[in-house]
Amino acid sequence: MAEPLTATAGNGSRAKSVDIYAPQWRNFLFVAPYLFIFAAFLVFPLFWGVWLSFHKADTFSSGRFIGFDNYVRLFRDGIFLQSIWNTFYFVFLTVPALALIGLFLALCLNRQTRSAAVLRTLFFSSSVLSVTIVTLIWRIVYIPDMGLLSMIYGFFGAKAPAFLSDPDLAMIGIAIATVWWCIGLPMMLFLSALQQIPQDIYEAAALDNANRWQTLRSITLPSIKRTFVLVVIIQIVFQFQLFGQAWLMTKGGPNNLTKPIVLYIYNTAFQRWDIGMGAAASEILFLLILVAAMAQFLLTRRKADA
Amino acid sequence: MTLRKLFFATISAAAVMMASPSFAATELQVQRFFGACDADFGKNTDVSKAVGECGIITSLINKFAADNPDIKVNVTTVEWPGYDQLTAQFASGDAPDIVTIHESALSDYQSKGLLMPLDDLLKTVGVTPDQFTDAAKQGATKDGKIYGLPLDNWTMLYHINMGLFKQAGLVNADGTPMLPKSPEELLAQAEQFKQKTGKPYFVQNLANETALFTRNLYTYLFQQNSDFFADPKKVKFNTPEAKKVVEMYKAIYDKDYTTKNLDYAGAINAFLAGEGGVQLNGTWVVGDYNAQSEKPGTALNKGGYAVYPYPQLFSGAHAQYADGHTWAVSKKDRTPEQTAAIGKFLKFFADNDFEWSRTGHLPAYKAVIDSAKFKALPHRDTIAAIATLGKPLPSQVQRQFAIQDIVGEEMSAAVSGQKPVDKALADMESRVNELLANL
Repeated sequence: MAEPLTATAGNGSRAKSVDIYAPQWRNFLFVAPYLFIFAAFLVFPLFWGVWLSFHKADTFSSGRFIGFDNYVRLFRDGIFLQSIWNTFYFVFLTVPALALIGLFLALCLNRQTRSAAVLRTLFFSSSVLSVTIVTLIWRIVYIPDMGLLSMIYGFFGAKAPAFLSDPDLAMIGIAIATVWWCIGLPMMLFLSALQQIPQDIYEAAALDNANRWQTLRSITLPSIKRTFVLVVIIQIVFQFQLFGQAWLMTKGGPNNLTKPIVLYIYNTAFQRWDIGMGAAASEILFLLILVAAMAQFLLTRRKADA
Repeated sequence: MTLRKLFFATISAAAVMMASPSFAATELQVQRFFGACDADFGKNTDVSKAVGECGIITSLINKFAADNPDIKVNVTTVEWPGYDQLTAQFASGDAPDIVTIHESALSDYQSKGLLMPLDDLLKTVGVTPDQFTDAAKQGATKDGKIYGLPLDNWTMLYHINMGLFKQAGLVNADGTPMLPKSPEELLAQAEQFKQKTGKPYFVQNLANETALFTRNLYTYLFQQNSDFFADPKKVKFNTPEAKKVVEMYKAIYDKDYTTKNLDYAGAINAFLAGEGGVQLNGTWVVGDYNAQSEKPGTALNKGGYAVYPYPQLFSGAHAQYADGHTWAVSKKDRTPEQTAAIGKFLKFFADNDFEWSRTGHLPAYKAVIDSAKFKALPHRDTIAAIATLGKPLPSQVQRQFAIQDIVGEEMSAAVSGQKPVDKALADMESRVNELLANL
């Protein structure tokens, strides 16, 4: 038998009722561990980063206040502007590919057969690899004269393109490796969305003699629109933070054409010990990702209003 | 009863054996680059059997640990050059005790007060700076004190596939390789090489590489007496001398006298497979390449392997860029036992510098460099000159590795035609000066 929510005294006079949903300070203890970690490792570094970006700081001292000097230096630095462009280019190369290939795979593998289950696992399996392994695999593919690609081209008597050192191909090479690595999550998100579409709509469409294309266009795609937006925004936020693949495959070269913002931050803060300017570059990246996150917020809110 | 006694005796003995090292051992955290080769040398303590940088350093540390059971050496191997990690370790107060640092990078850490001056410690174990070669002493001394135990001095070399040189007709009557004496001669010989062998003259690791480009540029600026770092805080790269060097390497690139898309490991493989005449690589591969050339069936065994300093292409100073490796010690509070253990470790490496010099590096100790057994090592007759040719950047120049990346990036862009030479040199100069102005 459940306890009553309010206790009543025997003589009929109502005692002060206890509302278990009322705010209680001791409940704070339940979220305190998380809040502590959130404050210590996210909120505090966020503000510390902003503070550092206004200082002439190096790795071993916090230096003096210099106002916006670090930001001025950043926007005068051609390499930084190049790295912003590179990051956008990389996002442009990977995000549409991830969304479209992910959707295509999900549509193909959204069935209850054993081969579909095996293929789903196979396509997802690359996602569990670490960036080190992924880049190692793709370096073995791309490496000139000895790599897989050059072997395949060799069969046809052709010379494989130098994906890691050709200025026009290097970023595409990194993008291919990234799509291969990251395709699992979009595919799974689309699969779960597809499985939530009620079957009766498809049955009704079948009764109306709708063909597969019509079903896809009028039922499937509209039903997973929100997932599509979610996948695109998640991937934009994620791919903006490109670092490992570029660092391990090309070191940002040739001629800084594959240097993304995070690698620029790493070079500046940890190789040149210019923590202040590295922090300033991080704030710019923070703003860029914030814009993407706000876009997601606005888009999803508009959907909810409609 | 006897069985019970035996049982207890065995248990006690086992307990003593397990416990004793942990009672006595002083721990040393050692961090180094030079690669990992535990599969081949992980347990080897016979240093004379080891070959190459990785093999010899691994075996030397194994030998030290075996000779000193009271000292527990924990080795961390980092990817070359490992300074990003080391800087982060220093910043978080978790630096290793002993760490490999290039002479060119010592002043970065020394100027921040992160390293321990070693003069007194070395004196207690009988190592004094007058035992070092002049180059090693100069490289390890900052503000009048020794901040690293010198291991060697190194420079870049022409590693030559003599089989292909013979085929190209680039061999003198005495059997030595014909090396160029001017940029024009270099291009002419490279053309002749290409015509006769169908292969590129140079095997270079140009794919996203910075160090090789930078060392080449410094070397040929020295040879033109260009004092580009007259002011250690302000560099001059936008000069006619620098333009000459970059244009020479650009011509080599444009005329396909070099491999183009190889990374470092790829270039080594290509040279060992006989895919080009001259590999530009450092002293550290001499031991490995010589071992290869003695193996029947290899490309280097066919016609032989030779190694020479960079040829003198300009009329200025006889010089080429050089640097050196040292063991530096982090500044920390330590027990006298720990400090003594560090002293022993450094002394061991000073005593075994001959073994290290088998890599191909130049010894850091006069006694070794003058010894008959060093001179008897293969190819030391042809590369002995690097002892006098080697020239580092002025030691006051800070962030030399970050500068190397900028110089290499810009030179690479110019050589491969992604940027006009003048623009690349102007960018190189302004980027390095921007870095140095904001230290």
